[in-house]
Amino acid sequence: MEERDPDPNSASQTNNGRIKLNVGGKLFETTRHTLRSGGLDSLLAALSDRAAEDGEPIFIDRDPEIFSVLLSLLRSDRLPSTARRFSKQDLVEEAQYYGIEARLRTAMAPPPLLGFDAALATTIHPASDGFPTALSAGSGDGSVWIAHAGQISAYDWSLAHAGTVRTHLDQITSLRHVWPEIAGIGSLDSPGLHFYDVTSGRHVGSAHWSDPSDPRVYKAWVTAIADAAGAESSGEPVFAAFECPHRENCILAVDRATLKITGEIGRQSGSAAKAAAAGKLVHVRERGVVFAAAVSVGAFGYSGYMRLWDPRSGEAVWETSEPGGAGRSTRFGDAFADADADVDTEGQRAPAIYKVCWKTGDVGVADMRMLGEDPWVYLEERNPGLRNAGGGLNSVLHCYKGQVFVSREGGLEVWSRIEDEEEEDGGISGRRYRRNFVDSEDDARRGLVKRMQGGGDRLFVSREGMEGIEVWESTDLSGAISLL
Amino acid sequence: MPPFSGTLPSSAGLNPKRPEPSIVTLNVGGQLFQTTRQTLSLAGPKSLLSSLPSYSSSSSPPSEIPFVDRDPELFSLLLSLLRNGRLPSSSSAFDLDDLLAEACFYGLDPDLLLSPLSDPSLFDPFALHRSLALPLPGRDPPSAISAAPSGSLLVAHGSKITAFDPTLRRRATALTRFPAVDSLLALSPSLAAAGATDFPGLHLLDLSHAGSVAHALHWSPLPATTATSSPAASGATVQAIGASPDLLFGSFESCRRNASAILAFDRNTFEPVAEIGRREIYGAELDSAIPATKLSWIHGFNLLMAAGSHGGPSGLSGNIRLWDVRSGEAVWDLKEKSDCFADITVSDSLSAMFKVGVNSGEVFMVDLRKLSAEEPWVCLGDARKAATGRKEGSGCRIESHGRQVFCSRGGEVEMWTEVLMGPSTRSSEDGLNGERIMRRNMMGRAKDAGEKKITLLGFGGSRMVVARKDEQCVEVWESSARS
Repeated sequence: MEERDPDPNSASQTNNGRIKLNVGGKLFETTRHTLRSGGLDSLLAALSDRAAEDGEPIFIDRDPEIFSVLLSLLRSDRLPSTARRFSKQDLVEEAQYYGIEARLRTAMAPPPLLGFDAALATTIHPASDGFPTALSAGSGDGSVWIAHAGQISAYDWSLAHAGTVRTHLDQITSLRHVWPEIAGIGSLDSPGLHFYDVTSGRHVGSAHWSDPSDPRVYKAWVTAIADAAGAESSGEPVFAAFECPHRENCILAVDRATLKITGEIGRQSGSAAKAAAAGKLVHVRERGVVFAAAVSVGAFGYSGYMRLWDPRSGEAVWETSEPGGAGRSTRFGDAFADADADVDTEGQRAPAIYKVCWKTGDVGVADMRMLGEDPWVYLEERNPGLRNAGGGLNSVLHCYKGQVFVSREGGLEVWSRIEDEEEEDGGISGRRYRRNFVDSEDDARRGLVKRMQGGGDRLFVSREGMEGIEVWESTDLSGAISLL
Repeated sequence: MPPFSGTLPSSAGLNPKRPEPSIVTLNVGGQLFQTTRQTLSLAGPKSLLSSLPSYSSSSSPPSEIPFVDRDPELFSLLLSLLRNGRLPSSSSAFDLDDLLAEACFYGLDPDLLLSPLSDPSLFDPFALHRSLALPLPGRDPPSAISAAPSGSLLVAHGSKITAFDPTLRRRATALTRFPAVDSLLALSPSLAAAGATDFPGLHLLDLSHAGSVAHALHWSPLPATTATSSPAASGATVQAIGASPDLLFGSFESCRRNASAILAFDRNTFEPVAEIGRREIYGAELDSAIPATKLSWIHGFNLLMAAGSHGGPSGLSGNIRLWDVRSGEAVWDLKEKSDCFADITVSDSLSAMFKVGVNSGEVFMVDLRKLSAEEPWVCLGDARKAATGRKEGSGCRIESHGRQVFCSRGGEVEMWTEVLMGPSTRSSEDGLNGERIMRRNMMGRAKDAGEKKITLLGFGGSRMVVARKDEQCVEVWESSARS
């Protein structure tokens, strides 16, 4: 901050950098440096170049009150409390006018998501058919797409409604970002993987599973599209699980640029639970494998499998299927109710697979670098206040930013890793995790959690029978309630 | 203006022998301000404001007026603060956060803004009322409270510690290694000591770095030569934490629960300085090694009060010791048998120790200037209640702050105040007999009655903090003068 040192020698120098603005009749004086800090291509930066010639203030025909808030933001890098007088939308629109939206976005972004310190920030309601059927969180800026019936609603970083697209599908059950603007969608009722441009609302392509040598492969639908954090611009293919009416299934690789099928892996008959179509796919890019999991529930509990497919060889490099089968856990009869792969795009943590057991509700973790016959390490609960938090029936598990979110009934818990200097090798130990509830008991009564999706510093949660999705964020505000 | 500049009284008006007042002109964000050097010098020598060049305003060209590229409205509030020593009412349009950030930019001492929140001299016990509830994330009820003298507030719940800033508007939650934190003490605005009864070690947490462990302090009951592995492996747990201005005390109990000791650590280096009151259980005499569950430093006497109790076949029994830390000797040792304390506190300014009896539920006092071994406790309430045998005092909390003693009773807090009597009024006819006179009154209004049972009581700066059973929040009581 060069204005911290206003000594007389530099006075003439700083004077040259000073700029007077007349915004809506109110005079402001600031420096060229401040105006340029919003970005060199912004309107303010452009005005700051013009200013030097004459001493007259530059007139801008906008509201001076909002401008003073935005000028404070440029000067001090924080939003003053007077910003509360304006709606989020007012601030965003005004910042867009001056071309400093990026600065506003940084200042308004929630603090890093810590599951043990998150609270319900808001609920987003699509205007019609409000029961979400799929979610996809965008490129890490906290934006989200919601699929509800045949529509995709997009919400931007400020969670303002950016638009809704009506697709030709009647019930979208899979939705993923393929490009920042392009959605890949699938439905269990209608065949094919389809691509839509969410900003223009146009259908841009489709991919169908076909096999010239097998006429039964026909009208296959999509059961899952791979979650691949940060893969949008990587040139790597999109993976999607397809299933035929006669239950035969496979995973297809679709090229992101041409939207054409480039490969097929993991073809299975679908005749048993351990060969059913995957309901969850995660592309673990740093290990070069695709994690596929399928779970079915019947009168005798849960059954299902997890496999890691190598897309180059088309072989399964590791698998576990429960109950029974290869790589089964020592906890026989306590099959997993849900599983997810924890992918760290920054490479700080070892990639791992987490599962939640349906009977005991225990959470197990397997280090992806050391998979074997029984790689599971179970996370230990050591807080006496949280024992018997419930089983894993209907639990949903979601890994995000190194934290494991598990729903129990309607409740939501999080397992967070603690750093430990006594650890010797960086291997995974069940003692390094602490369980905390994210929600309160009142939150849990809103219904069973169906889907969770992390994006940016937000966690999006949809519940059974509830319209709209909940947005959970960490906050640094105390939220003090007056008792007077 | 220049003709009067020598005779105008300074608005600061603090220094009668001030030099000639020099008027300073400032351009803050396009708005001109004029003030005196004296006013600006109140911002402190390190402040940006005290280093501004002065100009006799009218003669200097406008281009030489120092320009500061900041918000003029916030500056006008800070200038008022410097001029009057308090914020004008127009400051309510801004959060204190804004003013603090702005004060930080100008290099102003943040205490100018925060002192009304944290100054203990502003603590007015008779004007306290329930003013705020601070919600805590998650579902773990608060297990320990520590209010720092600076006005910030720490609350432990489950494995987490939530720190509230002095304005109570912002918070940050940190995850500790403890499955559940049982003792907590704020040492400085960014450093807290925490311990648990089921996890080894006393951890010093750096709250400005997401609660990372700055130091882990351990105690091993075995001599260092025979200890085969690191002290962490021996697993002594922490039962209580206390602090004096230069020492940090931890009451440790070994993992096999057969030995206990109080360790004193240097507050700067966190090196162990002394081990005092080491006890080990030999044979059947279980009472010999009760670890201290409360540690209080008595500044006026240079003594450490350590008290511990445990349930035995004949009810709760405990002991209270006053330690001279330098010699490592107990100067006073009291066994509590009949009406053991449910909670105990020391008041430095009253030179007395107070307890709630677990059976009677009454408050008792010991004058620290007249310690004796024979039944020293003086009952302040109804002394006959101990005979009923009901555990009326169970779960009651007692704390002292300033010249008052506060005792929780169910959902309410009673406050004991010493009534200062002149020598002429002390006559035997009043039945006062020269004893110290303590009188009680219940705090709060009628509508506050019937709240849930109080589990924790804490004091810091000018506030009282209360946690209640099954409530996922802490309650703050403040003086009405400032609300």
